[in-house]
Amino acid sequence: MPEPEAAEPAAQEPAPQEPAVQQPDGHGPAALEPAVQRLTVRDGPAPGTRRRPSSGSLLASELKQLFRRRRTQAMLLALAAIPVVIAVVVRVSSAVPAGRGPAFLDRISQNGLFVAVTAMLVSVPLFLPLTIGVVAGDTIAGEAGLGTLRYLLVAPAGRVRLLLVKYAGAAVFCISAPLAVALAGAGIGWVLFPVGPVALLSGDLVEPDEALVRMLLIAAYQAVSLLGLSAIGLFLSTLTDVPVGAMAATIVLSVVSQVLDQLPQLEWLHPWLFTHHWFGFADLLRQPIGWDSFGDNALLQAGYIAAFGALAYGRFVSKDVLS
Amino acid sequence: MTATWLRWTPAVAVPAVIAAGVLAGSLPASARDPLPEKTPAQVLAMIGHHQTKSFSGTLEQSSELGLPDVPQVGPTSGAGTGSLAELLTGPHSARVYVDGPTKARMQVMDRMAERDAVRQGNELWLYNSKDNTATHVTLPAAASKEARSHDMPAGVATPEELAAKMLGKLDNSTEVAVAEDTEVAGRAAYSLVLTPRSDVTLVGSVAVAVDGENGMPLSVEVRARGQQEPAFRTAFSSLTLGAPDPALFNFSPPPGASVKELAVPAKPNGTNGQADKNRAHKDLADKNLAGRSTDNKDRRGHAPTVTGSGWERIVGIPAPSASAPSESRESGKQSVDRLLNDPLLRQATVTVQGGRAISTSLVNVLLTDDGRTFVGSVPLERLQAAAAAR
Repeated sequence: MPEPEAAEPAAQEPAPQEPAVQQPDGHGPAALEPAVQRLTVRDGPAPGTRRRPSSGSLLASELKQLFRRRRTQAMLLALAAIPVVIAVVVRVSSAVPAGRGPAFLDRISQNGLFVAVTAMLVSVPLFLPLTIGVVAGDTIAGEAGLGTLRYLLVAPAGRVRLLLVKYAGAAVFCISAPLAVALAGAGIGWVLFPVGPVALLSGDLVEPDEALVRMLLIAAYQAVSLLGLSAIGLFLSTLTDVPVGAMAATIVLSVVSQVLDQLPQLEWLHPWLFTHHWFGFADLLRQPIGWDSFGDNALLQAGYIAAFGALAYGRFVSKDVLS
Repeated sequence: MTATWLRWTPAVAVPAVIAAGVLAGSLPASARDPLPEKTPAQVLAMIGHHQTKSFSGTLEQSSELGLPDVPQVGPTSGAGTGSLAELLTGPHSARVYVDGPTKARMQVMDRMAERDAVRQGNELWLYNSKDNTATHVTLPAAASKEARSHDMPAGVATPEELAAKMLGKLDNSTEVAVAEDTEVAGRAAYSLVLTPRSDVTLVGSVAVAVDGENGMPLSVEVRARGQQEPAFRTAFSSLTLGAPDPALFNFSPPPGASVKELAVPAKPNGTNGQADKNRAHKDLADKNLAGRSTDNKDRRGHAPTVTGSGWERIVGIPAPSASAPSESRESGKQSVDRLLNDPLLRQATVTVQGGRAISTSLVNVLLTDDGRTFVGSVPLERLQAAAAAR
């Protein structure tokens, strides 16, 4: 996925990084910039007192790089557009009969806050894994593809720390993606529809402020759900120098896992699939809140993070970084 | 070279640790002190005497009856939600809150939906979030004692109810034994096993777990002959004794819900409703109740007939005829119609000699071409023989 800035002539690249200038076509200096910044962080102290850059500054520059990319911003905007589309369609069309389409769709015209819930529900199977796949698949392979990986490793950051910082960056995106859907949904619902006490699945009513808290809980649930997928993406990203391959593989895995989850013949496998609890956040809309699924999901995702984190460590630490 | 292998160690160790943790977690906690020995009669008495009136817990129900599965795909609430037969396929979980005989709430937790039954005093609310409908029933004062169990939302019966029904029907036909102690919802429990003495019935055995401390039934498991997994199982996965939050029993339908008032006749004809539910439920205990309802209806004539005894019992419902508008037959007819209108069951119906049949691993139903219905926990040939006999 080439960025708009990639069209800029490579000649504008600052002088000291000669090898970087000789990149293959299609990768421009803009993408290189953060790596260069991190190099200068390393170069700061005198050679005698060579100090490792703090993890905080590494993470900060990683996040800056991630969220300043047009691609990341476009993905967040696309996610935020889901509730807007739903709300506008419901607004201009006639009433939806109960029980048709995604759950909660029929409630939107009565209470705008359901826009956020419906949008979060709709984005679970594909849209969220799609964006996470792009971000997580790009973590290591993206740097390798741009040829910046070895510069990052020249800095005494250490491979483990780089891996951790990269994963932390993906995790922050995991938090912001469902949040973008939730906030955009609540906002557009507020504008287009009446907002009042929200009826939970159990039939009980909660005030709008508590409903907002529950929506944030759902966003948190989804963020946790996506952490396992991010770990898988991180591992796949260490396997290749072609970021698109890692992205596609991550997304495909999330789809395959969801398909396997639907096959009754594989019932024994279901509790082990990382997508198994993805729809379990409905328990947060019951009265009282059922925390069991949240706990189960967190445990499962922690297992995936540990397993694929260890695999990524094994691969990345023993990998010959040539680009 | 060694260094490379060292680096891959975590990748091997982490799955190993996870596997070890899972194995350790799945092993039964054997360190627990064994419960004092008890005879079947003593365990039965424990159930009879148990005084647990207030608790909250989660029930898990699973069925392997051989009915087609409802696939649940994507962000919808699932096609089959709300149908009776859907409750008999696949797993279900429900939260139960009980505080004394007149306050109860049951929440059947569906995918992205929930079915609720809330009872406080004589007020009973049924709510389904999928189509946002609520039903209000004012129970007659006389029915209060029994209504609790009868008016729970169809499908997930508490172990308490099932055990009471089954154990009330013990006679020479059944071998009762106390098996090794089990653990349900983290509580040590006696396991009462009922094995039919008949070779004909489809039921292999029924096991009831009885709390070792307070005698409350914690799980019911029905096994079918020649099937590995239990055909039907309902068990508490968690149980907390003590009064639940009283606010849970205050229910009013949310704005926008379509509310239906359901009138209850002064003398509720509980047995008919029960019999309908039973047939839809098709579990073993209900067959006995259906037999009991027969006794009531016999007084009105044109009643369902019962042949065989004990586990081999076959209930026959006569064909409806326009001339005699008997209440019992109409309800029988209605229940059959309702069964056949259910898309899941229609899918499960096969054409056999003499009519159509719905076969499950525990119960067979034969709908003859002339409109009669035969139900029993026996092989289909027996039902056909019973149908041919008249």
